[in-house]
Amino acid sequence: MIGTGVKRGTAELAILSVLEDGPLHGYELARRIERQTKGALSFSLAALYPMLYRMEQRRWIRGTWEASASGRRRRCYRLTPQGKKKLQPLRAEWSELFQALRRLTKASHA
Amino acid sequence: MHDWVQIVRERLVNLALDDDNAAQVCEELASHLEEAYQSLRNEGLSEQFAITRVLASVGDWRVLQRKIESSRKKELSMPDRVTQFWIPAFVTLSLSMVCLALIQIFGPHPWVANATPRGWRFVAPALLVYIPWLFTLPFIGALGAYISNRAGGRARAIFSATIFPILPYMVFFIIGLPIAIILDDHIAHNIMIPAFFVGLCAWVIFPGVALLAGGWPVQHFSSRLTTRRISNG
Repeated sequence: MIGTGVKRGTAELAILSVLEDGPLHGYELARRIERQTKGALSFSLAALYPMLYRMEQRRWIRGTWEASASGRRRRCYRLTPQGKKKLQPLRAEWSELFQALRRLTKASHA
Repeated sequence: MHDWVQIVRERLVNLALDDDNAAQVCEELASHLEEAYQSLRNEGLSEQFAITRVLASVGDWRVLQRKIESSRKKELSMPDRVTQFWIPAFVTLSLSMVCLALIQIFGPHPWVANATPRGWRFVAPALLVYIPWLFTLPFIGALGAYISNRAGGRARAIFSATIFPILPYMVFFIIGLPIAIILDDHIAHNIMIPAFFVGLCAWVIFPGVALLAGGWPVQHFSSRLTTRRISNG
């Protein structure tokens, strides 16, 4: 059964999936999601940071301040073990949604 | 070179987070905006156009502020609720009761000479106790507001803690007054509705105003100090 929080879950899934590859700061995270989805998914600043903070509260990700090569401080987010655990059911839910939609479109075209 | 931290701070000046939290959020958002700006500049956009586009991409700053506040704040846990509301509330309630008792014990003890006092003579003995008590309430309200504010209480918690001593009376008058109006003709005590209004003023409105007279300035100046600390970094 697909949960009601799927829409929010997809954004969380996008963030967790990208962070699975390695730690990133907010701006690069948003760019990476946009690039990998070829612009289909994009995060504005107002959508990204509240989402990151909420995920950090749930301990799925952890943010730490790091200095870049230019000396500028940036907050890098990395996946926690709890976040890794959360990623699996989110992926399953997302996959189930896709399959359901595919079945639906096939049925309507038949 | 633009001071992005300052630009963000100016727009999120009322961010209701503690100083450290607010400073971190401002720095992080500033870093994001600066990178977006640099990216646009590298694409060949003019300085002014790049700034305008970056700031426009944020949308409504008040919406962003609300979203950040709700995502950044933890659910009010039990210990927070205790320190921000219950402790200051019971301090104001118990102090107001203790003060009333102390004034009655150690204050003036007027003799009622006239067998059937009327007018001012009728209310004067009560006023000799009541008025000094009213004068103690602003200090009690200020103390309650200070304790709640110091524990990180928000405006609603501070306000509730400040006026807590009148809440039991308010509930009584809200329930008692309609019941009296309904039952007045059916019970033997002949409850006088004007007496309820006198009671409402004496135990709810006047003490409430007195408590807020002390509590509100503390709340107001504390929040202004916090805002100034955030804007000064």
